[in-house]
Amino acid sequence: MGKIKVHGRKGVFFTFLAITIMTLFVILFAPTSDISLQSGALAVGTRIGSVDNYISNLEGAYLETVLGNSAYRSVLSLIYYMNSTGDYLPDINGAFQEVLINGTINKVKIDSITGKKIMENHTITNWSSKISQIAKETLNVNTTIILNNASIYQTKPWSMEAELNLNFTVTSSLAEWRKGVKVTAEVNIEGLDDPYYLINTGGGYSNRIKRSTVEFNKWNLSATREHLRNGTYVHFENSGAPSFLMRFTNTLSNSSCCGIESLVNPNKIGSMDVMDSYVDYMFWGSTVTPCIELFNITNPATGAGLWDEFRFFKMDVNHVVSYNITEEYAVRSC
Amino acid sequence: MDENKKGYFFTLDAVLGLLVLVIGVVLIASSYVKSPQSAQVEFLSDDLLNFFFNVKVKDLNNPYAGIGGQLWNQGEITDGDNSLLQQIGEFYTLNKLDLAEKFVQNVSFGAVPGQFYYEMWIDGKLIYPRNPTETHIKSKDKTNLLLTSKILTFGIINKTTSNAWGPYKAEVFVWEK
Repeated sequence: MGKIKVHGRKGVFFTFLAITIMTLFVILFAPTSDISLQSGALAVGTRIGSVDNYISNLEGAYLETVLGNSAYRSVLSLIYYMNSTGDYLPDINGAFQEVLINGTINKVKIDSITGKKIMENHTITNWSSKISQIAKETLNVNTTIILNNASIYQTKPWSMEAELNLNFTVTSSLAEWRKGVKVTAEVNIEGLDDPYYLINTGGGYSNRIKRSTVEFNKWNLSATREHLRNGTYVHFENSGAPSFLMRFTNTLSNSSCCGIESLVNPNKIGSMDVMDSYVDYMFWGSTVTPCIELFNITNPATGAGLWDEFRFFKMDVNHVVSYNITEEYAVRSC
Repeated sequence: MDENKKGYFFTLDAVLGLLVLVIGVVLIASSYVKSPQSAQVEFLSDDLLNFFFNVKVKDLNNPYAGIGGQLWNQGEITDGDNSLLQQIGEFYTLNKLDLAEKFVQNVSFGAVPGQFYYEMWIDGKLIYPRNPTETHIKSKDKTNLLLTSKILTFGIINKTTSNAWGPYKAEVFVWEK
């Protein structure tokens, strides 16, 4: 009986050992929560990445695109506004900011004054609301955009730069992003009406900005005729011309970077004989060109010049030189 | 009596040994179980949407949709810098839905393996395929795994006037047939 007890104890030990080893195998090799943690981290990373891409697009392409859209419409609205009221703007930046952000001028809806639906649903505020709504639907993030201020200026003759300072906050279930941003957008001025013509003629003579294709050293009488006929604009270096934006406030001093000028068509102002240079900013400027500096662009002896088509057209001596009008076609007015 | 007791112990030992073997076999067999194919479908929808979002019209070498192709010559595509998604969005904005559908079909040809169906939606409207077949619809209703990728899209129709469109939600759905 003692021998049987010894054998029985050995068997039990071996069995317990086998069970312990198998338990260890089960613990080590059974599926663990490591995989689900990895997939959870991957999902978080993907969602953060999506929102990062959204923010990158928001402060980059989206705001720049909608600023360009709203800025163009704001300037267009201001031109129509000036045509309606017959007045120049006291402050271009103040007016631009109000129209761009709120669609109002002096707290009145500008569309109601101009009679045109230009700013409706197209202010920067409208565009900000749209992106917030769509971002909520698409990415389930809350976007808050606070518009601080806006301005418009020129560094090139044929375009304007609109600038917008804002702060935005994007909140998702995982994280929050906050940033202050300055957005700029370039807006082409070609195709827009020159407010200077509209104000000075009570809306009777409109002239859209269109750049002349004549190269700076190719001017002559023929090119000048085309330039006058088409109402195109030219930028001369170091000229006395104001920029496009300066025309909104009747600021007719020279623009160091961005002066543009056109020639007033005598046929569109009733063919009156005006004793002044027909260069636009000089024609309607407060300073009259002294007669001794004026030239009729005609040759009475031969009939050559521009008076066959544009009677009474005159230029000051500086512009006769700029447009390369030779003396056979330029006769002193006095 | 001693012989009967020996038999009980041997039987118990054999049963325990068998249990150990079974557990071992189960553990080894379970290590060969593969996870479901959900990752492939998810990557496919993401990849497809990223393709539309990142590739520009000017990058296409496509006689229908690329620069110098049919749509370009017809004046339907005017900006090579548009991404494919922006071009689709532009067609949608201009209510050229047939064109949008053909464009999607053409540029995505070969991008999605044949065993998958996919749909593109812009602003909550089905762009491709505009008129899905019954097979397509039933497949979508019955699929066990339907994944979607979403992104925002917007653009400019007229660069001179900076006339902007959007923003729209663009979605791609992909599922296995």
